[in-house]
Amino acid sequence: MLRFLIRRTIGALIILLILSAVCFFLFFAIPRDPARISCGEKCTPENLELIRRSLGLDDPVPVQYWNFLSGIFAGRSYPTGDCPAPCLGRSFVHDENVLTLIQDRFPTTLSLTIGAAVVFLVFGVGAGMIAAWRRGTALDKFVSGSSLVIGSLQIYFIGPLVLWALVYSTGLFGDPAYNAITENPWKWMVGLILPWAVLSTIFASNYTRMVRSTMIEQLQEEHVRTAKAKGMSSGTVFFRYAWRGALIPVVTIFGIDLGTLLGGAIITEFTFSLPGLGALSIASVFKADLPVLMGVLLFSSTMIILMNVLVDAAYAFIDPRIRLS
Amino acid sequence: MVAALAAGALALSGCSSGSENDEASQDEKDKAQKQQAQIPFADAKASTGPAAEVKGAQEGGTVSVMQRDSYAHLDPGQIYVSDEGSLSRLIHRGLTGYKADASGKQSLVGDLATDSGKPSDGGRTWTYTLKDNIKWADGTDITSKDVRHTFERQFAEFINDGPVFIQQWLANTPGTEYREMLPKGPYDGDHLPDSVLETPDDKTIVFKFEDPKPDLPYALAMPGYSMVSEAKDTQEKYDKAPMTAGPYKIESFKTGKSMTLVKNEHWDPATDVTRNAYPDKYEITFNIQYETSTERLMADQGANKTAVSFNNQVDAATLPKLNKDPEAQKRTASGYQPYVSQMAINMDRVKNKKVREAIAYALPIQPYQQAYGGPQGHELAGGLISPTVSGFEDGFDPFGKLKKPLGDPAKAKKILEDAGETGYKLTWGYINTPEGQNYSPTMEATLEEAGFDVQRKEISSETYYDEIGLVDNKFDMYVSAWGADWPSASTVVPPLYDGRQIQDGSSNYSHTNDEHINSEIDRIQKITDPAEAAKEWNTLSQYVVKDLISNIPITYYKQIQLHGSKIGGVQYDDVIGAIDLRKLYVKQ
Repeated sequence: MLRFLIRRTIGALIILLILSAVCFFLFFAIPRDPARISCGEKCTPENLELIRRSLGLDDPVPVQYWNFLSGIFAGRSYPTGDCPAPCLGRSFVHDENVLTLIQDRFPTTLSLTIGAAVVFLVFGVGAGMIAAWRRGTALDKFVSGSSLVIGSLQIYFIGPLVLWALVYSTGLFGDPAYNAITENPWKWMVGLILPWAVLSTIFASNYTRMVRSTMIEQLQEEHVRTAKAKGMSSGTVFFRYAWRGALIPVVTIFGIDLGTLLGGAIITEFTFSLPGLGALSIASVFKADLPVLMGVLLFSSTMIILMNVLVDAAYAFIDPRIRLS
Repeated sequence: MVAALAAGALALSGCSSGSENDEASQDEKDKAQKQQAQIPFADAKASTGPAAEVKGAQEGGTVSVMQRDSYAHLDPGQIYVSDEGSLSRLIHRGLTGYKADASGKQSLVGDLATDSGKPSDGGRTWTYTLKDNIKWADGTDITSKDVRHTFERQFAEFINDGPVFIQQWLANTPGTEYREMLPKGPYDGDHLPDSVLETPDDKTIVFKFEDPKPDLPYALAMPGYSMVSEAKDTQEKYDKAPMTAGPYKIESFKTGKSMTLVKNEHWDPATDVTRNAYPDKYEITFNIQYETSTERLMADQGANKTAVSFNNQVDAATLPKLNKDPEAQKRTASGYQPYVSQMAINMDRVKNKKVREAIAYALPIQPYQQAYGGPQGHELAGGLISPTVSGFEDGFDPFGKLKKPLGDPAKAKKILEDAGETGYKLTWGYINTPEGQNYSPTMEATLEEAGFDVQRKEISSETYYDEIGLVDNKFDMYVSAWGADWPSASTVVPPLYDGRQIQDGSSNYSHTNDEHINSEIDRIQKITDPAEAAKEWNTLSQYVVKDLISNIPITYYKQIQLHGSKIGGVQYDDVIGAIDLRKLYVKQ
């Protein structure tokens, strides 16, 4: 296990290094000048030069990249304030360390994604199991059919529709908002219900279809048949034997979906005006705020890689055969 | 287009219905016309607080504010854009400021100073005296030392986003050469000599210029010249946590997320004639797109009843829906913004005046207006001076564009034929935005109909102004927009049409270099009577359109904003081109 973890960590660091380099050099390849954007409409060449210098953009790009990398370990000092290690740089637009911004925004994205994951796992997996349980009935057909329809919807379509129907026209719900769970758990939940519902919708149907088919497969497996033959109750067979086997593909797909979930969170945060990492990265793209963009990218990649390692580890617990091999 | 810039300029109109009918538009125009007369520079009596009560106003309450963009700067010296300019009026104070009466009529008064300024020596020397009992949010007195410090730090290198007018005037140099006068600002113990800025006692400030500067009271009212505390100046770090003097102070600011403003107990209403400051608190949320704020304010439910947006406009796509909702329309405020869009013809390339004349007749301006939301978003323009600027002349329309907003290709064709230029190859650099994609094909079609061979070249919106700002650009024409910094055309005509300023990155996009214009600019800049100067600037701007035909007016920018039903005192602000935050109150 330890060797597995060390190997995965080294691999992850290499991936992160490559990612950061590609992102950094790509940024300077596109025809956007952060100094020019900061300088505004009535910009003079002299002021442009001053801003370029103050942002550190007058150094050659490899030097800037080296400064960025060394800042992660040694910290950096800026005229507007210090940036202690691990320093991901300082925003070009706002006088703020990138890590501070990320720490400020991460709870929103985390609340959104975890909440949505809980919703789509419960409803998606649940509906799939019900469909498998009642295979061939009208209920099965209804669940399978509607999962196809729902699965073809997109956040940018359902989001505004939900807002219009439940918030603006009827006032059934208040405006979606993020409130810290530590301050008021009730407000936290109420503010996020609609974003959770919308973000989970696009994922839930995949799980429904997958769980339905794997459950049906599992129910025909030999060990399940043996259990049935031994006279175990159908409930025990269903949950203890068939379900466990059906979980492995769920975990696999969930690991892959984590990245997509973060992508979905970007659109959801934009649609519902939630101040998370997605909203932060969109704003930084518009303002050519490279340090923030890099920071969010590295942070999210680290999270995805970390979650994937966790998912790999989770296999071992679900399926002992993996541990042995 | 590009960043919303611009401090001042008199946008006009008060709280009017946002409907698309002619009546509303006429209403705005009437109000604008009243303002074309010079904004009066007020005396001490008119500058003495407190501000006149807003009818029906109540004290207290919290206003929720929805803003799209977070504030990049809070240091007054770095503030130029309109969003921060709006906020600045709640937290910062300058020597002078604009006072709006209940009808929206503006005058320029003393804010921290007792009056709008006492000129002497033909407008070369201006003397200001500070009011009594003016304090920073920490309770310490604001003195002339702070005023001196405010202007001296503008010379330091880290101040690079704010206006530069007064620095240039004090140093009597163009461009950014002024920095050489005090390269480190006041931070190494150096100061501006008494020959340019004198503070003989704690209350008196004297500005001394080489040439008459009749516009100084306007310039001092720019948010960028609000006061900075000498004792609390943290230089670069001041931008994040400035000392404030206005009726509100910043309780918390989470970049890109939220800001809370609470009352500054050291602000004395008796010293302030421009601000009422009724609410106890402002809770600002950032990252709310125009579409979202428009929907929320139209729905007017729950907390949104006590909500406004300082700067978010009504989303153009939602305008038709708003126009069908009479209840929501009552909750709008609309008016002009100081920008004028125009087609700049590259004078280095299109040298034949007859060709330019044909472009002027053929160019349809209505597609541009349509692309930006129709008559509520933009108004068709006849001249280059905005209705918000002194000297605006309604009805000036030498090429009949207002009567034929779709262009007059037949007439243009005749002119081209007579000049033997039929088939003239016209390279047009257009901005690659949804709007640019929308209006440019229609405009191209009409120009083609007139006999031009139009080559449309797309320019990325990111680099648009950089590319058209190159002297040696390869385009024959391109659209540009410019807003006045204050309601005088002295901030429009010289930067746009002075031929001696042509260089890469300058705003003379048409490369206009005309003897008559250059000499007139020098002459008019010396006129000390603002009303006479306004008239002369207007005449000169008309020469650009009808005699030189280097720039063809397209539209005047307008804006419409919504507010919740429990917010009172909403009046469109003539100067900043947004609602006036100083008079808002919460209906209890």
